[in-house]
Amino acid sequence: MPNTATDSAAAADGYQLALQQLTDSALPTGAFAHSLGFETYIERGLVHDEESFGVWLAAYVGQQLTYSDGLAVRFVYEDVPVAELDARLTALLLPRQLREASIKMGGRLLQIGAEVFPSAGLEQYRGLVAAGRAAGHQPLAFAVVARSLGVPLAEALAAYLFATVTSLTQNAVRAIPLGQNAGQRLLRAASDDVAAAVGRIRHLTPDDFGAVSPGLEVSQMRHERQRARMFMS
Amino acid sequence: MSTTAAPAAGARAVGAPAGHAPMGKLALRVAVRGQRSVAVHQYYQGALRVLRPHYLDESGQVCYVLVNPGGAYLGADLYVLDVEVEADAKLLLTTQSATKIYRTPGSFAEQRMTIRLGEGAQLELAPDQVIAYREASYRQKTHITVRPSSSLVMAEVITPGWSPDGASFRYEELRLRNEIHVEADGVSRLLALDNLLIRPPLNDVTGMGFMEGFSHLGSLVVVDPRVDQALADEIHTITAGHDAYTGISLTGAVAGTMGLVLRSLANSTEELNRLLGACTSLLRHTWHGQEPMNLRKH
Repeated sequence: MPNTATDSAAAADGYQLALQQLTDSALPTGAFAHSLGFETYIERGLVHDEESFGVWLAAYVGQQLTYSDGLAVRFVYEDVPVAELDARLTALLLPRQLREASIKMGGRLLQIGAEVFPSAGLEQYRGLVAAGRAAGHQPLAFAVVARSLGVPLAEALAAYLFATVTSLTQNAVRAIPLGQNAGQRLLRAASDDVAAAVGRIRHLTPDDFGAVSPGLEVSQMRHERQRARMFMS
Repeated sequence: MSTTAAPAAGARAVGAPAGHAPMGKLALRVAVRGQRSVAVHQYYQGALRVLRPHYLDESGQVCYVLVNPGGAYLGADLYVLDVEVEADAKLLLTTQSATKIYRTPGSFAEQRMTIRLGEGAQLELAPDQVIAYREASYRQKTHITVRPSSSLVMAEVITPGWSPDGASFRYEELRLRNEIHVEADGVSRLLALDNLLIRPPLNDVTGMGFMEGFSHLGSLVVVDPRVDQALADEIHTITAGHDAYTGISLTGAVAGTMGLVLRSLANSTEELNRLLGACTSLLRHTWHGQEPMNLRKH
């Protein structure tokens, strides 16, 4: 067994591997089924190649992922009661499919988390959801698990945002379609946006929670009425 | 219209208006008296007041017109409004003219509005458009509490203003935050948090994900126990005939009531007013047996 000199490295490894499992695109949360609005842009012919998807992705990371998901993760780390954050997320995700996507993927994450990374915090959140007192949102489920594993906030944020970016990019590769190398170039470019978002999330205020730009939202709403679609959102 | 009175130097200090005495303050409480809704309490101070009430039809709904005698919001200006519509009372609240936000260097203009609706109360909030000019920052915070049987309809248009060089979107920041709670059995629960943020200096706001190439933004928020998917579908059909890019969605249900949110992008205030007017006319007709709103003010 390692002695004290390597204990901290072991602890770091502990959460490193857990975090990798939690943010792996193979984690069965159903993220492959959600475009979170970009399919509307494909339908309109506005997202059709690597560059145009990159524009959408940058807007999504800089707006919705920053002000809703990212800020929700930060608030969990700041001890804001998860029930309160859950109610706020339900209220601020105004496009129905976006709200349902967050709850669907959140529900899966709560189940998986209970089996592989159980903690008192997670049990409490699961209890609220089971009692109908919370919906169970993806960023909150993630933050509760990541925090219980000892993942520092900045790392948790970067990992969560980049995991979302990765699944969206994989979905775009299938849907547009794009080449696999184009997907990798998009991820490399998006990692800069993710880093910038992590920096910005630190300075946001409670009033910023859920702030959206209208275009993303209109497109997410319009997806409800799209006839032919690959994605649930 | 008179020019804006010069506020005290302190009110122009850099930073949030919070803590300063408001530039304008208004309170209005409407209740049913006999066959009509009337103001049972009204108070105003500074650069805000209401015109004499009038009745546009036989429904008993009272119409109040908000007036900002200064004609514009400037840096660090704070306006505070408190509106209550008691059980079964009906209020239409509008403005005399557009809300113009001028330069607010190093600061922002703010409007805080608190609205309470009683059981069976009806409020239509139909202000003129917000125009944000060059270097303007504006925050509008509206906190609404409804009861399960209240009926709320609020329509809003935001325009990009203009600058001397003819370019639009030269304002600094617009934040419009509506927080809607439903109070039932002594418990208040959050129904919708509608938090719009447009910050032109930070992004290419005209492009994808932001204004999608359009210049004007329209918003309709409806909370009523009669809101359902069929209504959303009907409103979608109405909007399809307009030259605008529109999305509609429903909130979850809270205590038996529900919200509908419509967001629309277009290139003129007139087009958005036509679209929003068509939607509110449908609601007035089917829910309240009222004719389309005719404010006869333009």
